Amino acid sequence: MANCFNLEYASLDHSKWRNLPPPPGFSSFAPNSKAPAKAQTAAATSSYASLKDKRAWDLAISPAKSLPMQAFMLYMSGGGVQIFSMGIVFMLLLSPFKNIAGMNAAFAPFAPTTANVKSLKVLPLQKIAYIACNLLTLAVGLWKCRSMGLLPTGTGDWLAFESRAMAPELSLQ
Amino acid sequence: MCCLRQLFLVSLGVTAWALHESDVGMVDWNTKLIGVPHDSPHTAPVFHGDYVLAATNNNVLAALNATDGSIVWRSIYDAEDPIMAFSHHDNSVSSLSGPGGSTLRTYDLETGHLILEKQLHSPVDGRLHEPQNLGISLLRSTNPSLNSTAYLALTNGDSVTHLDETGDTLWTWNSPDQGSLVLYSHLIADPSTVYLVGLAKSFASYTLHVTTLSATTGELIASVNIPANIKDERSKFVAVSSQTGPTTTTCVNWLEDGALKAAVLTPDLKGQVMALPGVKYDRISDFGLSTNGQFLAIKEGGAAHVMHFDAQAYSLRPIWEFGDAAPSQVQSDSHFVGSLGRDGQPRVARVYWSNAHNKAIHQTLTINLSEGKASASGFAFPFQTFDHGVVRHVAFDGSSTGETHENTRTLLTTTTGSIQLWQHDKMQWVREEALASIQVAEFVELPEKKVVMSHAVMDEEGYFERLQRQLSDAKNLPQYLANFARRFATGSYATVTTSAASSSAEDTLTRDAFGFRQIIVAATPYGKLFGIDSSNGRVLWSRVLGLGWAAKVGGTIFPTKMFVTRTVSDLEGPQIVLVTQRRADNSLVDTVLFHVNALTGDDVREEHQSIPRDLLQGLDAVMGPLVDVFMLPNENRTIVMLDEYLQARLYPDTPSAQAEFESFVPSIHLALRTDVPGQRQILGHQLTLNLELSQFYVAYPTWSLSLPPKEEIRAIIPNTRGPVASIGKVLGNRMTLYKYLNPHLTLVLTSSPPSSTCGIYVLDVVKGSIIYHASVPAAGGVCDMQATLTENWLVYHYFDDEFSGTGESKGNRVVSVEFYEGDGPDDKTKSSELSSYSNKTLHISAYEQSFIMPHGITAISPTLTKFGVSMKDIIVANRKNSIQSIPRRLLNPRRPKHKPTSEEQEEMLVQYDAVLPDDARLVLSHNYEVANVRRIVTSPSLLESTSLVFVYGLDLFFTRIAPSGTFDVLSENFNKVQLVLTVAGLGIAIMVTKPMVRRKWLRERWY
Repeated sequence: MANCFNLEYASLDHSKWRNLPPPPGFSSFAPNSKAPAKAQTAAATSSYASLKDKRAWDLAISPAKSLPMQAFMLYMSGGGVQIFSMGIVFMLLLSPFKNIAGMNAAFAPFAPTTANVKSLKVLPLQKIAYIACNLLTLAVGLWKCRSMGLLPTGTGDWLAFESRAMAPELSLQ
Repeated sequence: MCCLRQLFLVSLGVTAWALHESDVGMVDWNTKLIGVPHDSPHTAPVFHGDYVLAATNNNVLAALNATDGSIVWRSIYDAEDPIMAFSHHDNSVSSLSGPGGSTLRTYDLETGHLILEKQLHSPVDGRLHEPQNLGISLLRSTNPSLNSTAYLALTNGDSVTHLDETGDTLWTWNSPDQGSLVLYSHLIADPSTVYLVGLAKSFASYTLHVTTLSATTGELIASVNIPANIKDERSKFVAVSSQTGPTTTTCVNWLEDGALKAAVLTPDLKGQVMALPGVKYDRISDFGLSTNGQFLAIKEGGAAHVMHFDAQAYSLRPIWEFGDAAPSQVQSDSHFVGSLGRDGQPRVARVYWSNAHNKAIHQTLTINLSEGKASASGFAFPFQTFDHGVVRHVAFDGSSTGETHENTRTLLTTTTGSIQLWQHDKMQWVREEALASIQVAEFVELPEKKVVMSHAVMDEEGYFERLQRQLSDAKNLPQYLANFARRFATGSYATVTTSAASSSAEDTLTRDAFGFRQIIVAATPYGKLFGIDSSNGRVLWSRVLGLGWAAKVGGTIFPTKMFVTRTVSDLEGPQIVLVTQRRADNSLVDTVLFHVNALTGDDVREEHQSIPRDLLQGLDAVMGPLVDVFMLPNENRTIVMLDEYLQARLYPDTPSAQAEFESFVPSIHLALRTDVPGQRQILGHQLTLNLELSQFYVAYPTWSLSLPPKEEIRAIIPNTRGPVASIGKVLGNRMTLYKYLNPHLTLVLTSSPPSSTCGIYVLDVVKGSIIYHASVPAAGGVCDMQATLTENWLVYHYFDDEFSGTGESKGNRVVSVEFYEGDGPDDKTKSSELSSYSNKTLHISAYEQSFIMPHGITAISPTLTKFGVSMKDIIVANRKNSIQSIPRRLLNPRRPKHKPTSEEQEEMLVQYDAVLPDDARLVLSHNYEVANVRRIVTSPSLLESTSLVFVYGLDLFFTRIAPSGTFDVLSENFNKVQLVLTVAGLGIAIMVTKPMVRRKWLRERWY
């Protein structure tokens, strides 16, 4: 059980800490206990992969998890157009786009292979789920906008752009 | 609860606008007027001490201060209660008014308080005579024994009423044969007897009829026909009385074939007819001294005799002859007026215009009866005939005359409607009373202040010359900089509540920062055109309209319409064209145009302005009356006049205007009313050219409005055209009600006497289709509807005197109607660009709601702003003599009958309440009395929020109103000083802390 919680820093391939020089007065030393066994390493690797996969899924659905909290905040902020409600609505509207834009970087640590970690093709299912969840957040934001009357859906919102020509007849009065 | 709701409503309505006391006199002005005085004998202006009493054409009885011309008091009579006669006595003024002289009123001379009001007979019993005040006379007699005054009133031409000071009737005498051939017109009283003198009709001529009554009981003493043979109804007869001691002797004088005859009246009416042989007279007239025994007789050659009746000697003789009184090439007809001097001796003033001196001549005749001597002396005074026309009536203050003419006071009433008081040859004051009957008025914008270059740039200009010129151009720079600094620091900008009047000494005609200062050009039926400064009500210029060829025969000019043909944005500067109908005294009617520069009053058609200015001569555009006149909406703003043959005549009649007009012709549609009495109808017309018939385009009828029989057109009110900011009304649920913006809509008011109803129609004048029609009851058979149509909004007012059951009441109603396209929200037919022949023009939905108005109204108008974005309020003049605005929010026809839902609240709709609040905060006219308003003219200013309002009727009133609040200017309590200080403080703080921070950073680097 305790084994599960071993911290395996070694697996962090791209950690910048790994290439740091040792502090002055310390010599680099290799751990004297050699890797216990190859089988054990393989098991660790596979559990590590599944762990990454799980974490990737966690990340994919994290926007959906925060939705209830955000909905509660929306409810609390009220229907008026005020600074707080506007802040929350902006957050709701902007964060999905920000998340989707930074999606590849966010999923990079969970990539199963070291090559091409930032490619869109890595972890496709998770990414689709991630996009869907973000869209869900966006939808909530838009729904809030609509309920606040900020979406130009009615004809009244486009009235200013309507124009009329002159009447063909001329009546003098 | 109801009260609370009303309060809430009103507070909603007036948050935008309520007149502050500090704004009174700054944003508004008010000119109190009395109207042009009557000049018929019983009602002509007279001096009474230091007062001038006058009854006017606007049906006002007024007392003016003779020293400065201010109104001491005035009493406005109803239109159906015309002033027939007034008389003054000690410190009270009495009047007889109404048909036949039905009502007696007495006012305190100094305050104008009504002391006594008494109906002598019912107004419906009043008989009409020609002239109107014939047979009506009012006498004040003093009863020395009772030390009180009494009234003797002759009314209806046949009854005499004797009242005491408190208005109790002492006796009444009615002619036994009422309505017979005898019509009494003169009333003379002495302490014991009342003499009634009148004309009796006999075969081919008139005879005199005299009746005497006992002054104490009113019993008939005698009634006698004097065998006079008066042929000429014009000269009639003169009754003079002369007092010798306690007795009064009366003498009636008349002309019979040019011979002057007289009869001395005694109570028993036994006397002889005397004749003055030898001299042939043309006419005789009473000139104000009839109670003193003098009258005027004009000889056939034109010489005027002052006749005197001597009661002691029973003799009648001329005591003075004005030999040269005949009108001729060198002088005009003379006005004679008599008055008693301070010494009780008669004075006669003669005023005439002398062409030789180009001045008016005043002659005073001083008569000393006891010595039997008379002497005349005169002086000339510089009457401005080109500014004030011709003298029409003269009133003379005999008590002001002395040894010299220094204090001689004369009051002139001129044909242009001005009242002038002259003391010797100096004009003390002048009142332009023609402004009380303005016919048409328009706002004209003023140009911006221009920076004038000191001189034009020359080609060969040396370096030093240029430097010198530029230095001289820059001489105002320090002042400008100082002003700028002051403005910047203190924030003393032009604000919306300051007066728009120019404060600088040199009064150039330039607009103020917000365009509140404009010129109101107003035309009056007295042949005078005025340019009024809208910032303070001062008359900037005035022109007398010339009669053209009709000057030889005389005539009147009646303004029909006024057009602003050029505005400030045009190169030529603002110009107006006044279209008038000139009715010459030989009954010829012409259409005359006056084309005037609105800033100066100069004639545009004239190249060189004569100085001093002559009469403004017009252009006889059409020989004959005019049917209607329009302005084309083209670049030239050509005026199209339709003459009586419906030919379209153009002004200016240039080839380019003609070409433009021809390009418009196929699309032009007109609605004309046919003024045949009994069948006043409205016909639609188009124009066509048929060279066989006429060289002009001729209008031919295309449609007629089929009204029920006997229903007559009363008024056609064109749509108030202004810019339309929004073509729809957005509802709370974001749907749109598209406004019905048919540009051809016109309001037609009708009356239908058989059914006792009034009709209101909204017509499409292109096709003649009725968009909206309502029929309302005519209160008392009179249609007195007021209506206005702006964009898609119709507001009309009527008095409802019908009530069918409990819970209903009669009262003033205001109905607000709005037209929208299609069946409901989001249904659009694009009405503003739709051809009127399309079926969809009638596809509309109307919302209407009716409200109860606390007062009747006499004029109604919507506000008008530059872009039409601000809300439109309705401005009304009510019968309380005040000007009031009704907020659009209260008049919205879509006000819900229930508690407003959230969507309706979003539209700012408030719950329907039948009663429009009578709130003092909605009154625009402060506590001024703005009486008998005929029209309200609104005009946009340069601020979108603010609309200018000019009201005319008897009085003039001007104010400005911001229906949606002054949203486009900084609030006046904005603290500019605080802002400047804060910014400056922050700047200083930055300057102080910047080196400190820099030092700190440096230190951080090191340690």
